[in-house]
Amino acid sequence: MASVSEMYDVTWEEMRDKLRKWREDNHRNSEQIVDVGEELINEHASKLGDDIWIIYEQVMIAALDCSRDDLAWVSSPSDMSSSSEQGTCLQELKRQFPGSQRVKRLAGMRLEALEKYEDASKQYDSILQDDPTNTAARKRKISILKAQGKSAEAIRELNEYLEQFVGDQEAWHELSELYINEHDYGKAAFCLEELMMTNPHNHLYCEQYAEVKYTQGGLENLELSRKYFAQALKLNNRNMRALFGLYMSASHIAASPKVNATVKKANVKYATWATNQINRAYQLAGRGTKENKCSVKAVEEMLESITMS
Amino acid sequence: MAELLLDSSIRIWVVLPIVLITFCVGIIRHYVTQLLQSDKKVDLEQVSDSQVLLRSRILRENGKYIPKQSFNMRKQYFNDAETGFFKKVKRKVTPKNPMTDTSMLTDMMKGNLTNVLPMIVIGGWINWAFSGFVITKVPFPLTLRFKPMLQRGIELLSLDASWVSSASWYFLNVFGLRSMYSLILGQDNAADQSRIMQDQMTGAAMAMPPDPNKAFKSEWEALEIVEHKWALENVEEELMSRDLNFCELVLHD
Repeated sequence: MASVSEMYDVTWEEMRDKLRKWREDNHRNSEQIVDVGEELINEHASKLGDDIWIIYEQVMIAALDCSRDDLAWVSSPSDMSSSSEQGTCLQELKRQFPGSQRVKRLAGMRLEALEKYEDASKQYDSILQDDPTNTAARKRKISILKAQGKSAEAIRELNEYLEQFVGDQEAWHELSELYINEHDYGKAAFCLEELMMTNPHNHLYCEQYAEVKYTQGGLENLELSRKYFAQALKLNNRNMRALFGLYMSASHIAASPKVNATVKKANVKYATWATNQINRAYQLAGRGTKENKCSVKAVEEMLESITMS
Repeated sequence: MAELLLDSSIRIWVVLPIVLITFCVGIIRHYVTQLLQSDKKVDLEQVSDSQVLLRSRILRENGKYIPKQSFNMRKQYFNDAETGFFKKVKRKVTPKNPMTDTSMLTDMMKGNLTNVLPMIVIGGWINWAFSGFVITKVPFPLTLRFKPMLQRGIELLSLDASWVSSASWYFLNVFGLRSMYSLILGQDNAADQSRIMQDQMTGAAMAMPPDPNKAFKSEWEALEIVEHKWALENVEEELMSRDLNFCELVLHD
């Protein structure tokens, strides 16, 4: 099995920098992290110096994602021959930082991966006893509830968490997802509004909010959704989903019997503009490929069919 | 005043040693401070309050991106006469008296010990060890009033005030090596004496304003006067007037 450095012809410094980049960008490419990280730990541990601890943490979380239990924590001492240098991540971290809460959280995550939810919950409770402001432990407890499928309880706990830590955007996003799964679109819209306020230039939140409003239905919400699709497009011209959303919300409003003539005309104008943009986008995108004609035709037919209904 | 010619061994045996001594003492001070530093205990309520204030501020600044109804809903949550958050929540405030509060007292003592004491000791030693001669000439002219300050131990009435003794060279180093410390130890290092002296002068410069009630009141007032002007009023027109060329350019890759 060729090692990563041979396959891609990279040095250990490049591998380390790549890991750092993934860490800072919060990538979740766990397979790659495990491959690169495992080799770094096994071959070049001495050269890494103090970097090795954060790499251990990163590789451990990735290993839990890929169910590489051998890397995260060696369960049996049977393979003594090879594992003497191959200290595993959690053991090494525990040895180096015995009283650390960050390491305790990693131990809790490992218990979660083994589906021992009770023990993991106890572990997080002990962290919270020492330090009530530790947000990471609280969030892990909520994700245990989510993993067990108890979404109502998870929602309740997350609400309590957010009452105290109002600024946690990750938590707001998670709550909006949970509400969408429960089809409680009003509350999901509230969470997304919080996110939009804190990140006014993020087109994805605008688009998600518009989709939630569109799903809620009703004339007012459709108008709102059309506006927010337009805002998402303004923030990012290439957002095709927002373009389609704009078309659909505008054509829905135009087709609704309750609107007066001016509103209808305006919406028909928006819808036709959106159609033109979509057609143009598909033509430009598929330039030079054989499938181009087919896909453009498919899009045209689709747009016509939506207009008809 | 004529130019004095100083022995070049002054350069080797006085100027450079003083620089080295100051530098090393600074580095030692940094590490000692790090060792002696006690953990800062964060209060859950304080964290929560600071986040609420942040949220209210964001509402004021970016409220124009959410629909009018949502904005009003949030404004009412904060500011309503009876049930609003800023009206209802009163925090118990214990003023932190620096004399009686034990943690702050020990912090102050530690700060004094690690910063002021070495400065006095080393300054005095240098004054004693390197006395009786001038070290260097500052490049700008000084008035005569600086003479007793900068020329300790040299009783020459006609000597230019620009010629300084070793003690003043030491103090010059203490402040001058600040940027060297930030280069080597990174920003926000404990060897930075001038910053510590500034902190002592401004008094208790703690993390959050010690009176959250005042902060709530000012936030309430600020939120009252904010009006909601929806940024999305004409967004479709703006989009369509601009987009026709843009879309093509952007997809062109």
